[in-house]
Amino acid sequence: MSHAHEVAAQVILEARNITKRFPGNVALDCVTFRVYRGQVNVLIGENGAGKSTLMRILAGAERADQGELFLNGRPIAVDTPRDASLHGISIVHQELLTLTNLKISENIFAGRELCRAALLVDEATQDRRSSAALRQLRKPMDVAIETGRLSLGCRQVVEIARALDQGSRILILDEPTSALSASEAESLFEVIADLKRSGVTIIYISHRLHELLHLGDRFTVLRSGRVVGEATRADATRAWIVERMSGRKEGANSACAMTLPSRPSVLKVRGLTLRGSVGDEAAQAALHDVAFDLREGEILGVYGLLGAGRTELVEALAGLRPIASGAVAIRGQKVRTGSVRDALRAGIVLMPEDRQRDGLFPELSIRENVVMAAKTGIILSRDEETKRVRRLAAELHIAAKDIELPVTTLSGGNQQKVLLARCLMCSPSVLLMDEPTRGVDVGAKAEIYGILRELAGKGLSILFTSSEIEETQALAHRVLVFCQGQISAEFLRDELNDEALFAAASPAVTAAASASIAGGAA
Amino acid sequence: MNSTTRNQPRTSRFAWAAARAVLFFLRARAILVLLLLLVLFSVLAPEFLTANNLSILTKHVAISALLAVGMTFVVLTGGIDLSVGSIAGLGGMVAGYLLTQGFSFGGAMYFPPVAVVILLTICACLVVGALNGWLVAKAGVAPFIATLGTLYIARGAALLISNGKTFPNLGGGAVRGNTGFPAFGQSFMLHVPTPVWMMVALFAVTWVVATKTPFGRHVYAIGGNERAARLAGIRVAQVKVITYVFSAFCAALVGLIIAAQLEAAHPATGESFELNAIAAVVLGGTSLMGGRGSVTGSLIGAFVIGVLADGLVMLGVSEFWQIVIKGVVIVLAVGLDQLQTRLQARILPYLTTAQAEEGKS
Repeated sequence: MSHAHEVAAQVILEARNITKRFPGNVALDCVTFRVYRGQVNVLIGENGAGKSTLMRILAGAERADQGELFLNGRPIAVDTPRDASLHGISIVHQELLTLTNLKISENIFAGRELCRAALLVDEATQDRRSSAALRQLRKPMDVAIETGRLSLGCRQVVEIARALDQGSRILILDEPTSALSASEAESLFEVIADLKRSGVTIIYISHRLHELLHLGDRFTVLRSGRVVGEATRADATRAWIVERMSGRKEGANSACAMTLPSRPSVLKVRGLTLRGSVGDEAAQAALHDVAFDLREGEILGVYGLLGAGRTELVEALAGLRPIASGAVAIRGQKVRTGSVRDALRAGIVLMPEDRQRDGLFPELSIRENVVMAAKTGIILSRDEETKRVRRLAAELHIAAKDIELPVTTLSGGNQQKVLLARCLMCSPSVLLMDEPTRGVDVGAKAEIYGILRELAGKGLSILFTSSEIEETQALAHRVLVFCQGQISAEFLRDELNDEALFAAASPAVTAAASASIAGGAA
Repeated sequence: MNSTTRNQPRTSRFAWAAARAVLFFLRARAILVLLLLLVLFSVLAPEFLTANNLSILTKHVAISALLAVGMTFVVLTGGIDLSVGSIAGLGGMVAGYLLTQGFSFGGAMYFPPVAVVILLTICACLVVGALNGWLVAKAGVAPFIATLGTLYIARGAALLISNGKTFPNLGGGAVRGNTGFPAFGQSFMLHVPTPVWMMVALFAVTWVVATKTPFGRHVYAIGGNERAARLAGIRVAQVKVITYVFSAFCAALVGLIIAAQLEAAHPATGESFELNAIAAVVLGGTSLMGGRGSVTGSLIGAFVIGVLADGLVMLGVSEFWQIVIKGVVIVLAVGLDQLQTRLQARILPYLTTAQAEEGKS
């Protein structure tokens, strides 16, 4: 009893029995998540496990269908982000929400501007307090410069400063390192250690195991919307996390080893160079002189950090971005670049990273979504379409009750399969996939891997990009590592290991990085 | 505990049934409102439901229905066409000029026959439509601004043609060989006014294009997700240009019909017609965000507005109140649309899980 009491006193925030449904899937199913005072609380789970949804509920960006929140043992209502910040809860989103057209201090005070005479913005005080918050984070910056000119790492610090100035006691960091280089990540870990020392409670979300194991004090694992494991620092091991996360023993995936087919190359890319768009932060991440071959039936992985040029590469190949120089050829035939239609005609089809933004037609049915890119006559034949879509749906195991239902009624994994079906309808010779399993639950993930291997077995050449080491290892025959727009390394399947991949992907690896992670967490 | 778990499915099932019913009525609201109005006016005004009155009513409706049907594609792509009223006005003036002034070659006057007049008028209007399409699809101007600009350009051009005057007597002359133009708006076929036939024909063609052809699907796709449409290999710019050109074509027909009915062309013809057309499209359930809606809805929407206007006149409601009522109806329609969207988002997850469970058992 006294032990339970002690535990209760350590818990600063508790989300109890939270359930959240979305069209087509249950994102959170009766989840209870405890946050311990002054510690780094790590929340782990694969894409689509419900981590971000849970955090959005804690931060007031989303409302739970069922369940309650308790702060220091008392129930609280967090219906809006404002409620959350009143309770001292702040979130730094994975996709940073900095207002790039405003200066740093304006960002730190956006929506809660300090006023003089209740009317005019008190810029001097805002600037002073912003500088103070940034100094506290050991990241002094000129608060008058526009946020758009900052690197992603610095923007993150600005958002953390905003949370600090609000007097937040609980800070949620949603995949904070996904966009950072190794050195930027290293300094973020120092910031986290500082915050912890000053009594701030951190909720840290990531799926990079090596970071988590160094940083975390408490571990909670989510899988498919359920809590499947809780552990303290002493009990959490790499093997335990992987097993909990994926629901299988580590290494089970690599059991089905694949041999690289010795077939002729289908896609030849030579000297591909891409200018970054002007005024875009991706300007530094354009492609420089990229050259590689893709063989028939090969699955080629492209690994890199955010901004390494992965998306730029597939978009250039698919004709979405004009290239500055270089050549792309399919089976020796030169492909005219910069035109989606020409790429499609040559047999290059792209399955985009963000299916909501670039893939799905939310108003249309599953059938219409699948047939959208297919060649047609003058009058559409509904029967013919229905037949073809049904056949593909069966082949890809799309769990749809009725193909005339809106595509939004499907779960993430099935939506992804709908897009895959659309790509296959074009009978491609090269399938480009940007993050093939983003926002897809574990079961569907394994299924999609199986389907892709099967397609490759039938001779389809697949090039996929991924920011997940696990995925890259599970799927690829061969891996190209991108760093700052260039190929920095190439690995065959047998040569792959986490450390080598991560090292090749990081622009400036310092030996101090891992030491500081360990030191910061101690 | 046990009883609540047992009760839950039953209450939920009832709630689903209720929600489904509400959703059905919301989806069919345009046609329900139309039927309601027809019944209401038949009861309140005995002369409303006579063949003669309905014929006049349909003729009125044909004008806004042509514009609304024409604009539906534009709205479905996520655009808007504010210039249709001005294009109609310009069309009337071009026809009026050609019929009364003709061309002069070295002092000799030449009057083109009516068919050529109609063709040239339509061509002139299509040029404005193509300009709209080019501005929106190629130059990247926001549709609202682009067509607001062409609204003024076309209206100014209409005024310039006659220096602001009206072209009267469009009946033509036997000597000039250009009689018969008024038949375009005044004649009957099988006791039905020609403009009504045009509305029917245009609606039929548009409906087939929207529901049965790749072009129609591309229109919906662009409005639903333009980035995805481009990636699926759809010629987004080309499709957009065609929708604006088609809208202008319908506006040209309207301009010709009005000039033929009045046997005169006035440069202010068609002012604020675009607002009526947009109202009809919206009443018909087409989303101004694009991607959702139907041509049939726009036709029904045009009828709702037309029936409302004529019915209120018959009831002797003051013209000023008519305007207020029309506004209220439009706001209500959009409100109901929002309600439908929200309700759909709320119950769809339940509907699909219910179906999955039914499928399992």
